[in-house]
Amino acid sequence: MKKSGKNYLLVEAIEKLQARKKELEGSLKTAKEQQNTAEVARLEKELEPVNAQIKEKKRAFRKAENGHLLAEMNRHKFIYFLLLIPIVYYFIFKYIPMWNAQIAFRDFISLKRTGITGGTWVGLKNFKTFIGSYYFWDLIRNTLMYSFGKLLVSLPLSIILAIAIYECTHKILRKVVQTLSYLPHFLSWVIMYGILLAILSPSEGILNDIIKMFGGTPKSFLTDTTAFPFIVILSDAWKEIGWSAIIFIAALMGIDTSLFEAAIVEGANSWQRVRYITLPSIKPVIVIVLLMKIGTILNAGFNQLYMLYSPAVYSVGDIIDTWVYRGTINGQFSLATAAGIFKGVIGMLMLFVSNWASKKFTESSLF
Amino acid sequence: MAKKKNISVAVRPTAADHGFNIMVTTFMVLLLIILIVPIWSTIALSFRPANYIGSYLEGMFLAPWKWSTAAYRSLLGNQGFLNSFGNSLKILVMGVATALFLTVPMAYALSVKGVPGKKWITIFVMIPYVFDVGVVPTYLLISKLGLVNHLPSVFMPVALSTYNMIIMRQFFEGIPNDLRESAFIDGCNDVQIMFKIILPLSKAIILTIALYYGVSFWNDYMRSLLYLQKSALKPLPLLLRDILIGTSMNDNLEASAFGSAPIEAIKAASVFISAIPMMIAYPFIQKYFTKGTLAGSVKG
Repeated sequence: MKKSGKNYLLVEAIEKLQARKKELEGSLKTAKEQQNTAEVARLEKELEPVNAQIKEKKRAFRKAENGHLLAEMNRHKFIYFLLLIPIVYYFIFKYIPMWNAQIAFRDFISLKRTGITGGTWVGLKNFKTFIGSYYFWDLIRNTLMYSFGKLLVSLPLSIILAIAIYECTHKILRKVVQTLSYLPHFLSWVIMYGILLAILSPSEGILNDIIKMFGGTPKSFLTDTTAFPFIVILSDAWKEIGWSAIIFIAALMGIDTSLFEAAIVEGANSWQRVRYITLPSIKPVIVIVLLMKIGTILNAGFNQLYMLYSPAVYSVGDIIDTWVYRGTINGQFSLATAAGIFKGVIGMLMLFVSNWASKKFTESSLF
Repeated sequence: MAKKKNISVAVRPTAADHGFNIMVTTFMVLLLIILIVPIWSTIALSFRPANYIGSYLEGMFLAPWKWSTAAYRSLLGNQGFLNSFGNSLKILVMGVATALFLTVPMAYALSVKGVPGKKWITIFVMIPYVFDVGVVPTYLLISKLGLVNHLPSVFMPVALSTYNMIIMRQFFEGIPNDLRESAFIDGCNDVQIMFKIILPLSKAIILTIALYYGVSFWNDYMRSLLYLQKSALKPLPLLLRDILIGTSMNDNLEASAFGSAPIEAIKAASVFISAIPMMIAYPFIQKYFTKGTLAGSVKG
């Protein structure tokens, strides 16, 4: 029961009655303990109408609330109409897949032969197969390696880029760098692969030309298990730091310039201003971004890895998502779904933890 | 968008300040080079003539009058390539239209205050967002709906993105409620409030979200690879992937169809052509996208 709103008076009356009831019940208890029968009878008699009144008032309250609710719903008919199609969409495209996910617990054969619910129930067999398989730890290691690697490289770089853009005194240089730095964000990983080929390919790549110039032997970087992780992490940084810097630039714009003025008057140099004003001012934003990234730590970059890897580098290039995708294409539906659910459950937990932490430390959260 | 802070105090800069400025400028110039070299090398490669001899590095500095447009001519004259481009355009247009049709009403409806049951609808929407079951269950749904080998299969599963919807809703919520109330007092009904008051004020965010969807549909290859098995339906990213990996010698794209251009030039040119729509959209993206995204994400 809300204390505000239309039925405030009713709520107040009910609360008063309940307080009276509590008081009476208290004295009734002591009277019973003292075995004062006359007093007990008197109090019980007094309690009766109070109870009846509470009941009546509560009924009135519910009636008023329901009437109010119906009126409110009627008033927002158009809003419900707007929600109709999106809700049907959610039901079909988001909830039916959740229902389909039960094949992770079944021996699914095919849609035509058995349907979703036709396969026999096998419990956690598929999960055990996935976790017990020899590639399982490789998948976990690669997934975490790429997500943490990208976080450790890209986050500091994007903060530095934001500060550099903010501090740069050449107007044209600043504009050009800023504009160019987030162009790659809009290019697909297929295009990125094409660009990487122009640099890394053993036959026509620019990097191998440079190696040859210094007398080295050309190397096929994209199929080399040592070079591959670096290529993945660095190409992601190249593509995304400009875009990630935007949020920090926005935070920098919000700093009160009088802080800098005061610091200059006090004799602080540029380095000290960055260290003691700029960085502390954008700390909350850094924390939010960090927590959001940790919430989605299992998304190591499906599109990128699926495009860049090849069987030669599966040992360092395969992540949970790419494995699930190959499983789907190869028709191992139950196993692939089990792996997908495994990732989904851990991802959900991570999201809740990071959201909780975000709420706690920064007072802002996703939900 | 980065405007220099206006500092009204002038103090003689110290050696440390000069060092700082030099560092910043060096960093920016280095970054500029790192950003430009890969893009430039791809462009230069795409114009490489067939009879070119010499290392790739030298090719980067090949004089423009020695450039050859053979790669572009053969790509644009190739039926398979044009067909793929057309498929991608169809997916883009149909996808963005569907996505807006679904996203705008929902975002608006969830931004209106005092609608009974709004909390439950939000929970209904958030559950699938938080708990992701992976790709197979959606694949089975698309098969069952008979959408396999139809272009909508590429955008339908993601035509209403919860994330985009929330960004848009946050924008709508930021519009002062007084506006809605005064329109109501002036006799506007809900339909008029939405179409005449709120939506015209929200052009930036709608365009932003449209571009967001557009970029993801244009760039998608994961769903295309899964759902579009007929080669006549291949969108551009799939074809590009085939060309790059070297399996382009499929039924509708013969190597001989490319004529005299070297294969590296063909690869680079197809990369560049695929990127053109994004490059054209980029100035608009810059103008609205960042503004809208920031409006949605950093409140206050």
